[in-house]
Amino acid sequence: MAKFHPNLDLLTEYVAGILPLAQSACVSAHLNYCPQCQQQTARLQDLGAVLFDSMTPVPVGDAMLDAVLARLDEEPPLSYRRVDDLSLGRTPALLQRLMRGDFSELTWKKVTSSLRISYLKTGDPSYEFALYHIKAGGKIPEHNHRGSEMTLVLQGGFSDAAGSYHEGDFIYREASDVHAPTALQSEDCICLAVLDAPLKFTGWKYRWMNPFLQLQAG
Amino acid sequence: MEEQEKDATSVWQGPTGRRTDEWSECLTLIAANEDRAGFTRLFRHFAPLVKAFALSGSSLSATHADELVQEVMLKVWQKARAFDPEKAAASTWVYTIARNCRTDMFRRLQKFDTPLAADDFTPDQEPSEPFAMLQSRRSRDKIHALMGTLPPDQAQILAKVYMEGKSHAEAAAELDLPLGTVKSRVRLAIQKLQIQIDR
Repeated sequence: MAKFHPNLDLLTEYVAGILPLAQSACVSAHLNYCPQCQQQTARLQDLGAVLFDSMTPVPVGDAMLDAVLARLDEEPPLSYRRVDDLSLGRTPALLQRLMRGDFSELTWKKVTSSLRISYLKTGDPSYEFALYHIKAGGKIPEHNHRGSEMTLVLQGGFSDAAGSYHEGDFIYREASDVHAPTALQSEDCICLAVLDAPLKFTGWKYRWMNPFLQLQAG
Repeated sequence: MEEQEKDATSVWQGPTGRRTDEWSECLTLIAANEDRAGFTRLFRHFAPLVKAFALSGSSLSATHADELVQEVMLKVWQKARAFDPEKAAASTWVYTIARNCRTDMFRRLQKFDTPLAADDFTPDQEPSEPFAMLQSRRSRDKIHALMGTLPPDQAQILAKVYMEGKSHAEAAAELDLPLGTVKSRVRLAIQKLQIQIDR
């Protein structure tokens, strides 16, 4: 079970529907691995419902009621049925939608000998939404962030100075935290990373790459 | 969304054997019999709340607010069969639809080109504890009772975040407060309302 979670601020914004789309997708994906956070968001949703219930109603005329009644026979819009066998821990349906296939079918861009990145399109113009594939035991060069970074471990795990993260773990870092994640020795690691500014490598060996690390938002 | 057919005669008994609220019953009837009279009652109760929600924070024009009310109420009708009184109270369910429709409308107005709708962000498996509904009702009753004890500045921020749909940063800018103050007020409010779960 996941040990690292979104904090209460993020969960509140997620439940209130105001977290940016890309970040919201990442939090939602974490919930698929985490019954605890699901429980927390359910309580936060109860709060939303209580606030909703206690709003001062604004009168709605009968014309509106008639307009809606007249539309009740409309064909409902297509809704995507969820896959039935989705159990806790599988790649979340939302990600599967964005990936349109499994990890092996994606286009991976090689960044270093042990790091490949695949960019997914969410439509959020301010955030890059990408999958990182780190080879078993491989290292992402030391870097910091010019903005915030949300990470969700989808497969395998990695560690950095602050801890060791496994499937379902969620990590949120603000700008300027420096770290150098290393994938666990036992298997390749796949993470989802949501960024609002490109990474910035800090080690001399990779610094030359910084100008090439453009944010791939959208 | 799970669109399970339900046996109309037995669904609104919670695990306690106790009936859930009037509106859950009403929704169940709408699902079972396409009950238009029931829908009209439900509309008269909820549409004014949805309208209040749509107008709060004045992020939407009056026209868009009306459009949202129509969209939400139509969705309530179309999705009534997916409503499960064991899992959620009717008003939580309607609130969720209203919130999702509003989020989608915001994104549409900002011309987001996204394959995702707000509904897609619901986790694949919702909490399945046998007493989810009971727990939810208890927590709602408690939140309701404790709401009156919140200092006005905390209640104000909650309304901004939840009803007006302002992010913590936007709320901070509007109230001319440091972001940290806004975040801590939200956290304090959540503590006071006792909805933080034990980890």
